Amino acid sequence: MAAPSAAGLGRRLRAWLPRIMPVRWSRYDPSYLEPEVNKEFYQKPLEKLTEEEREQMELKAVQPIKAAPPTLSSSVFSDPMISKFTNMMMKSGNKILARSLMSQTLEAIKRKQLEKYHKAPENEKETIECNPYVIFHQALKNCQPIIGISNITKGGKTYQVPVPLTDNRKRFLAMKWLITECRENKHRRTMMPEKLSQELLLAFNNEGPVIKKKHILHKMAEANRAYAHFRWW
Amino acid sequence: QLDHGCALHTAARGCLSSVSPQDVPAEKPRAVFHTNESDPAKHTEHHEGRLYDIPLEEVKAVFPHGLPYRFQQQIQTFNEARVMVRKPALELLAYLKGSNFAHPAVRYVIYGERGTGKTMTLCHVVHYCSRQGWLVLHIPDAHLWVKNCKELLQSSYNKDRLDQPLQASVWLKNFKTSNERFLREIKTQKKYTWGKREATEEGRPLGEVVEQGLARVRSASDAVGVVLREIKQQSPRGSFRLLVAVDGVNALWGRTTLRKEDKSPVSPEELTLVHNLQKMVKNDWSGGAIVTTLSQTGSLFKPSSAYTPQELLGKEGFDALDPFIPIPVSNYSPREFESCYGYYLERRWLQHEKAHTEDGKAELQFLSGSNPRQLDRLAGPL
Repeated sequence: MAAPSAAGLGRRLRAWLPRIMPVRWSRYDPSYLEPEVNKEFYQKPLEKLTEEEREQMELKAVQPIKAAPPTLSSSVFSDPMISKFTNMMMKSGNKILARSLMSQTLEAIKRKQLEKYHKAPENEKETIECNPYVIFHQALKNCQPIIGISNITKGGKTYQVPVPLTDNRKRFLAMKWLITECRENKHRRTMMPEKLSQELLLAFNNEGPVIKKKHILHKMAEANRAYAHFRWW
Repeated sequence: QLDHGCALHTAARGCLSSVSPQDVPAEKPRAVFHTNESDPAKHTEHHEGRLYDIPLEEVKAVFPHGLPYRFQQQIQTFNEARVMVRKPALELLAYLKGSNFAHPAVRYVIYGERGTGKTMTLCHVVHYCSRQGWLVLHIPDAHLWVKNCKELLQSSYNKDRLDQPLQASVWLKNFKTSNERFLREIKTQKKYTWGKREATEEGRPLGEVVEQGLARVRSASDAVGVVLREIKQQSPRGSFRLLVAVDGVNALWGRTTLRKEDKSPVSPEELTLVHNLQKMVKNDWSGGAIVTTLSQTGSLFKPSSAYTPQELLGKEGFDALDPFIPIPVSNYSPREFESCYGYYLERRWLQHEKAHTEDGKAELQFLSGSNPRQLDRLAGPL
């Protein structure tokens, strides 16, 4: 247990006890273990476990466990990318609204694609993708830039230097561009699911303003190749 | 005597007879949760849990209004209208088939928790009655008449009452689409004066009254009142059967959110449309049936957990409707759930890979609690 670290004479003499309702905090004691949500893990019979897994199970029986965060789900339908995107769409902590907008967007994509599917002739039916999750992931992948730009000041002047991007940064940029594009450059009265589904379908086909923005970024990076040696990391 | 034969287009009937023999050999695995029986009159317990198809021309003729919005979207996406045959609807159809039309009209109240399928049961019954050639008076949602009204005019017929021209004209337009045949055949029995220069003589077809209501929107509510009165008076003669189908009947008694110009609240009896409908729902006429649905979803000043007739109708409404047959509608049984799940899979509505697995199905059943509306909402994004 961590040593009591509170201010005030009177309080220092009281032993430290954990609170009754555990709250997930970044200052958990190191002995707390992460929760395991995967159902398959618990359905494995005892004989199949390796030595380390058996030790882990014994440890879990004794050590305290951190509280599960609200975004962690044991549902078979949960998808970390979709959760990330929902969080980015959220305003002022209104996760309920963000999540309902996301589900309406996925439904809108599915409806549009299904209508196209039912109207298409037999030979073209296989080419039409109806799964909104596949469309979402492919659209995000198409929007991710390969190389980014960073401002580096050298000798009083700021240069736009081409710089490699990490995977996280690429995903973040793709999602951010999609959301800003929908929020700002559309007619005021269109609903978010409608706008977003349209943008995602365009990005899936490698068309649309977000793909254009990615190409502009690539061109800028290519144009500023000469300054690439300014980067020191 | 009016022609009792099937009132619907010969085109629709021709389409039906060409579809049914082709369906059976082509799609064997479909047979489990589908049924080829498109006529609600022939539905029995054998068809329970199965989905039957309504041809799209019939849908446009019989249901110009009245289907729930999500069901209309589903019709557009799947390009077909499939309704599940369930026990409450079969019960109601049995009662209707065995009822004596010389006796006063029997009132049926369909009640149940939110999203269990009350409106769809009502639509099934309406489809049956229009197939049998009845005159169907379908009010899609009575709550729309007691809230959000932009224009309230003082009625010229009775100084205390208020008219709602927009709602009345919309309803008249839809009524005209669904009951063309009867509007030509039923004649007025009294002379009606609409203003200084307009009048409808005795013996004119009812279609003229409807045209008058649509042309002069100010007198649309009075036109609705005239139509209801004529139909109610002529129904006991037996030349046609009348079905009064009201969705959300608990709106007729209770409170409204409308206010008069001096900001005093309006009670439902002061609205012409509601007043006439209350007279229609009384059982002092014979030669037909009154099928109604309670609805908490659009209701005003009622808690969201209320679903029984006593809670939703209040004392006034319950006394007005008093000898009625209650028909409870509950969530899907396991068989109906399988049927609905299979239908979604077959129409490629459930696209998620995990939705095809046993785990996904169990999760859907658990999360929706076998409630039809929740299942529909959950299956949307998947």
